[in-house]
Amino acid sequence: MKCDALVIGAGIAGLQAALDLADQGKQVILVDRDPSIGGRMINLSKVFPTLDCASCITTPRMASVAHHPNIKTLTYTEVDSVTPVGPRFLAKVTKKPRYIREDLCIGCKRCEEECILYLSDEYDHGLGAKKVVSIPFTNAIPQLPVLDMDECMLCGACAKACPTDAIDFMQEPVHEEIDAGTVILATGYNITPMDAKRQYGGGKLPNVISPFMAERLLAPHGPYGGVMRPSDGKIPSSIAYVQCAGSRDASIGVPYCSRVCCMYAIKQAMLLSGSLPIADITIYYMDIRAFGKGYEQFYQNAKAMGIEFVKAKVAKITEDEEHNPIVRIERQEGTSAPEEVKHDLVVLSLGMVPAWVPDRDGIIPLEVGADSFVRTPRLTAPNLTSLPGVFAAGAATGPKDIVDTIVEASAAAMEASNYLEACAK
Amino acid sequence: MSEEIRVGVYICHCGGNISDVVDVKKVAEELSHYPNVKVSKNYMFMCSDPGQQMIIDDIKQNNINRVVVSACSPALHELTFRKALQRAGLNPHMYENVNIREQVSWVHKGRKEDATRKAIRLTKAGVEKIVRQDPLEAIRVNAERHVAVIGAGVAGMRAAVSLARRGLGVTLIEQADRVGGRLLEMDRIYPTGEKAIDVVNGLAKEVEGEKAISLLLNTQVVGIDGYVGNFTLTLQTGDEKAEVRAGAIVLATGYNHYQPQEGEFGYKESPKVVTLPEFWALLKEDKVSAKHVAFLHCVGSRQFEGLDQPQPDGKVNDYCSRLCCTAGLHAVEQLLERRPDTRVYHVYKDIRTYGRGHEDYYERMSRKGVRFFRYADGEKPEFVGHKLKVRDVLTWGEELEIPVELLVLVTGIMPRDISGIIDALKLPTGVDRFLQEVHPKLRPVELANNGVLVAGCCQGPMDVIESCASAEAAAVKASILLAKGEIELDPYVARVVPEKCDGCQKCLAECEYKGALTMTNRPEGGPLLATVNKALCVGCGACVAVCPTRAIQIAGWSLDQFDAMVDALVSEEYTHA
Repeated sequence: MKCDALVIGAGIAGLQAALDLADQGKQVILVDRDPSIGGRMINLSKVFPTLDCASCITTPRMASVAHHPNIKTLTYTEVDSVTPVGPRFLAKVTKKPRYIREDLCIGCKRCEEECILYLSDEYDHGLGAKKVVSIPFTNAIPQLPVLDMDECMLCGACAKACPTDAIDFMQEPVHEEIDAGTVILATGYNITPMDAKRQYGGGKLPNVISPFMAERLLAPHGPYGGVMRPSDGKIPSSIAYVQCAGSRDASIGVPYCSRVCCMYAIKQAMLLSGSLPIADITIYYMDIRAFGKGYEQFYQNAKAMGIEFVKAKVAKITEDEEHNPIVRIERQEGTSAPEEVKHDLVVLSLGMVPAWVPDRDGIIPLEVGADSFVRTPRLTAPNLTSLPGVFAAGAATGPKDIVDTIVEASAAAMEASNYLEACAK
Repeated sequence: MSEEIRVGVYICHCGGNISDVVDVKKVAEELSHYPNVKVSKNYMFMCSDPGQQMIIDDIKQNNINRVVVSACSPALHELTFRKALQRAGLNPHMYENVNIREQVSWVHKGRKEDATRKAIRLTKAGVEKIVRQDPLEAIRVNAERHVAVIGAGVAGMRAAVSLARRGLGVTLIEQADRVGGRLLEMDRIYPTGEKAIDVVNGLAKEVEGEKAISLLLNTQVVGIDGYVGNFTLTLQTGDEKAEVRAGAIVLATGYNHYQPQEGEFGYKESPKVVTLPEFWALLKEDKVSAKHVAFLHCVGSRQFEGLDQPQPDGKVNDYCSRLCCTAGLHAVEQLLERRPDTRVYHVYKDIRTYGRGHEDYYERMSRKGVRFFRYADGEKPEFVGHKLKVRDVLTWGEELEIPVELLVLVTGIMPRDISGIIDALKLPTGVDRFLQEVHPKLRPVELANNGVLVAGCCQGPMDVIESCASAEAAAVKASILLAKGEIELDPYVARVVPEKCDGCQKCLAECEYKGALTMTNRPEGGPLLATVNKALCVGCGACVAVCPTRAIQIAGWSLDQFDAMVDALVSEEYTHA
């Protein structure tokens, strides 16, 4: 396969970069390791500061990419290596088996209906269940199921139900090569692990949850159809956010600010107070970093709505016998003695780490910073990497919110198309 | 038109944004019995691929030839759905977007029944409108493959270089006698500690290297008119005036520092009080000899109505200026490098060192013994008799008096005054006075005015990296727009029925868009005829309102359509029971 630009990662950054290249007439191949395009953003409930539903912003972009004549999308595909060849690049990719014949599948979901085995659903961050063979989520693109061969008991019910004989238990990985003129890395982020901090329960307290889980609880098509806590389904009446639970903390190797956690916590708090009007919501914080356009006003609105902001670093989280989390804090306003506060549900405002680290994960020889994000050596061309012809955008180069990510993705598309222009000369 | 009218109606849940308040199933059910409606459905996310496919399938299989989607504001997804119609082979303008989110579910929470009734009525009005719709064609205009970039600070230079490399002509306009803008005020810049002058010179060299850029210094923009693809800018350099034609405009007009009012924290009253930019100037010349220096943050930012002195427009600066926390800490670092024995105090609300490498400044300055005191909203510190009085939150409300030999007001930023350009192009600004993008995520560097893009701090506070990213984003949008040398415009502009026009010229008096409407002679003689320049008309409808003979109307928004919509909105409640 040959293309002008290879875009790695089909989250919001990759989608935007691909569109801005394709709209200039460039031929783009967009690769993602997940079975659907859409990345992290499609998984969120609503997004700050406009409170648009995340799907409303993401799905149209996904559809534009899917229908664009200049974009070819490869989902469920791993990039094994990218090697510079002169000014161009040779990428080796592996298409993982879905155990579904893509050319035959019509997305009717009969296989999913017939399948009798349930698995924990990673799209709902373990809060919901999915079938062993299933389309990842309602608005996934492409609308193709994936069969989890590790869990499948090969009963054949799906194959019998399939009207087009698309189930293929023998499917093998397919290796392909892509010859690309330029490469854009839009490889995104992971959140810091729940068990990174032992003092916060090490991921073992059922009612201490991650911000992604909170997003799913708040999403209209979320696993419980409402906000309930995991241990017993109780509707929480007291919810706390622990800020900097995975950032500004050298002890877990993340000394930097993750840039989005203040705002997503405030946003989730606002959404929670919308769906649970009588719940008390507390945000324990060090500094509220509402720095973006309209963000400070958003923060002040949250305060006016009655969300309580307490300047305190949380030392420890334990639980009582009913799994109610107990947060040990020292307030910096009022009294100075440490105190313990019981909540029904605690959300850890976890930080951002790179989803893909070049020198750890191999693939492409790029320099990274001390924070493991891709290094961008030039202030005035912030998408350039240490390798000419390879550009990076979004959270690949450091924690970033959606607004800044989308702008950067467009900027990377500009640099990439100018690299192609220069090579053509 | 003998073809049977077959309307498809689609009600979107918008996740739960709409369906939590509006009974979407009932709306769909109600509409299914409405005249001309052949299909009426509801779906979780109409804008998703499966949602769009539903419409396409109905067009192809059920011969639907007009589509109404009741969902969010057309500002978000009108284009999305028009494209879906196009893919199905239908004229994209046979589409009507009814807004039942912003206009219904978001404003009528807790009144489910009323909200549902309103959604039904609005959707019915949408059906009535689309039933009377003509298939419109986009207006095509030629586009100059040339961009005017206003402002030659980092953002403007960055945009110009990228555009030129993409093969577009660029006129880079700067009112000062040199490029570089505000960056030249600084010595070094965060987060790399590079010399500001080196960064400016580096970009300036790139500008010089691009033959397609003509840089005009000492030049003011004194007039702008035209429309996307064909703007004309009148420029003045000294006494000379010149015109430049451009297909797109990139505004990179930058910012001003917040200027404290006289007496604000002792400013201008005491020589010991300076602003951060004034401090930079002192620092550059190594003139800071004070042993006790305090930095007071959020001066001119994060203000509160009633607590802070408003600007001449009556508004306070309630926004965060984004740059000042790190800029302040970076200034301290530079001070301590030169004068390590200086005692430095930071008085702040929140330290917002959010960016890559920013937190390191905070960390390093804390280790160097810089003292941090935190004040709460509404408890402004006071500068009295060489002492800064603070109620410090970090020590449980201790009232502190900090002896200060130099007080640096870490001032925020405000957009530069470009009211001439704003008025000429009728550009949108936000309550914060910065230029207002169409949507922060969908179209972050575009203004509602087609072909006008923003780069850097004219849109909001940004550092060098962020300004350059936004400049390149603006450049890519201009490149896409001008790539084909031809631009398609929405056909929703005024059109005249010659037989009805009696040449009264009332419309002409109302039209605010220069050149959009003129009176012309009819070849056959008779009264003058109102004539529309389709590219300049914005479809505002001011002319329609004053025409006594209904001769001038907006395509796609005809008076017949309005009449029918109003009838549907106010008719006796029709319930299919």
